[in-house]
Amino acid sequence: MAKKWTHQLRRWMTNKMELPADVLMDLPRVTMVGQIHIYIENHRGLLAFTDRELRLLLKQGQLLIKGKSFVIKTILPEEILLEGKIEEVLYINE
Amino acid sequence: MKNQWMTFISGRVLVRAEGKGLERFLNKLTRSKVMVWKVKRQKEEAMLFYVFLRDIHTIRRLVKEQDCTLTFIRGEGFPFLWRRTIRNAGFLIGIFLFLFVITFLSNVTWGIIVKGATPETEHKIRKELDKLGVRVGTLHLLGDDPETLQRKLTDRVENITWVGVELKGTTYHFQVVEKTEPKSTEQTGPQHLVAKKKAVIADLFIEKGKPLIKVHQFVEKGQLLVSGEIGKEDEPEIVAAKGKVWGKTWYVTKVEFPLESVFQTYTGNEIRKHMLKVSSLSIPFWGFSKHEFQEFEEETDERSVQFLGWRLPVQYVERAIREKKEVTRSLTKEEAVEAAMELARRDVKKTMPDDAEVDDEYILHESVENGKVLLSVYFQVIENIAEGKPIIQGD
Repeated sequence: MAKKWTHQLRRWMTNKMELPADVLMDLPRVTMVGQIHIYIENHRGLLAFTDRELRLLLKQGQLLIKGKSFVIKTILPEEILLEGKIEEVLYINE
Repeated sequence: MKNQWMTFISGRVLVRAEGKGLERFLNKLTRSKVMVWKVKRQKEEAMLFYVFLRDIHTIRRLVKEQDCTLTFIRGEGFPFLWRRTIRNAGFLIGIFLFLFVITFLSNVTWGIIVKGATPETEHKIRKELDKLGVRVGTLHLLGDDPETLQRKLTDRVENITWVGVELKGTTYHFQVVEKTEPKSTEQTGPQHLVAKKKAVIADLFIEKGKPLIKVHQFVEKGQLLVSGEIGKEDEPEIVAAKGKVWGKTWYVTKVEFPLESVFQTYTGNEIRKHMLKVSSLSIPFWGFSKHEFQEFEEETDERSVQFLGWRLPVQYVERAIREKKEVTRSLTKEEAVEAAMELARRDVKKTMPDDAEVDDEYILHESVENGKVLLSVYFQVIENIAEGKPIIQGD
């Protein structure tokens, strides 16, 4: 109950005070350069990686990226830079 | 991600991980602050990625807790390159040795050129340079610099006014300006002047001494011309008689000149052949055409091939084959006589002294025999007939 309440408070603050949502709400920040690069900050770890699919754990749910010939250029605890031909970016919520 | 060059300097390793739960392993690596990049899925249960060389121990430790195996495929970067260089030390030594040799050789004097000096002075300069240590094959790096050399040379070699020293590459150039010293007058003891040969006196020029002859007087060989005894008769003073006595002397020259003569001349047709010669084996590489000359002459020019100052046992040979032709020249008697006179003049110039002059010439005898013009020519020459004869004081 309390968790839900803080969540609501944060959403209200972002709306009213125009603060960046990713900072306040621990949301992933996804930057894409065309189809070739995708840069994801604020992830919670790698779940699956093949050359056609990348699955990342988020604070809430998962992020699924589909495409071709994937290579992880860099991986850090909370950041990942993926290269390849990106075709789909999907959010999966349980 | 850090720069590619940074990873090159500190060294990177391409790693292949096999097994299950590779994603988990990657997460673990990132959480333990191990930099991982260029991750590629190779097949179902294998991944390829790069890590820093310094993180090798960490990932070895981490992989033990995981059920996957690691293979280090290859190392890249400076540390690995360095290790390989050490292993191929011979190559490295070779490079340094080569550089050393080249440097050494370019510091060796390979040539000494002396310009503007007479052969005598040049010889002196070369001898002096030899003493100063400037020789072909020595290091000029260790010797004197051009300025010092210039000073020392001007000091030591007497008859040079100035010498310019310049070091161009591996060759010393010496530009010499010689002193022109007046000729030292010969010191002579007391002497008379006597006639060198029989002559008729044409002119007299006496600097010192008492002349005993007059112009147009005939003198015999050895006759006293100028006496070295001057002064009063009873107490004579003995000096070195000096002067010039010009006398008319005679020369007879016999010459012969053929009316018809055969010459060899070149027609201008020639063939040049170039070849390389190794000991006795010749390898032609230019000029293969065959000549069809009736008469010809061959001229061969051989030059040794040089390599950085050394002579290789390989010679470059240039052979010229020139066509010859015989030409017959026939002259009239007058032309032949004129040519013979020219020959006679040249002949007499050779025999008479340098300061003499031809006064007159007569043809004494002229005849044609066996296709030849025979001449005997009489030359009247004015020359210095005075010759010193030391006075021996017998008292």
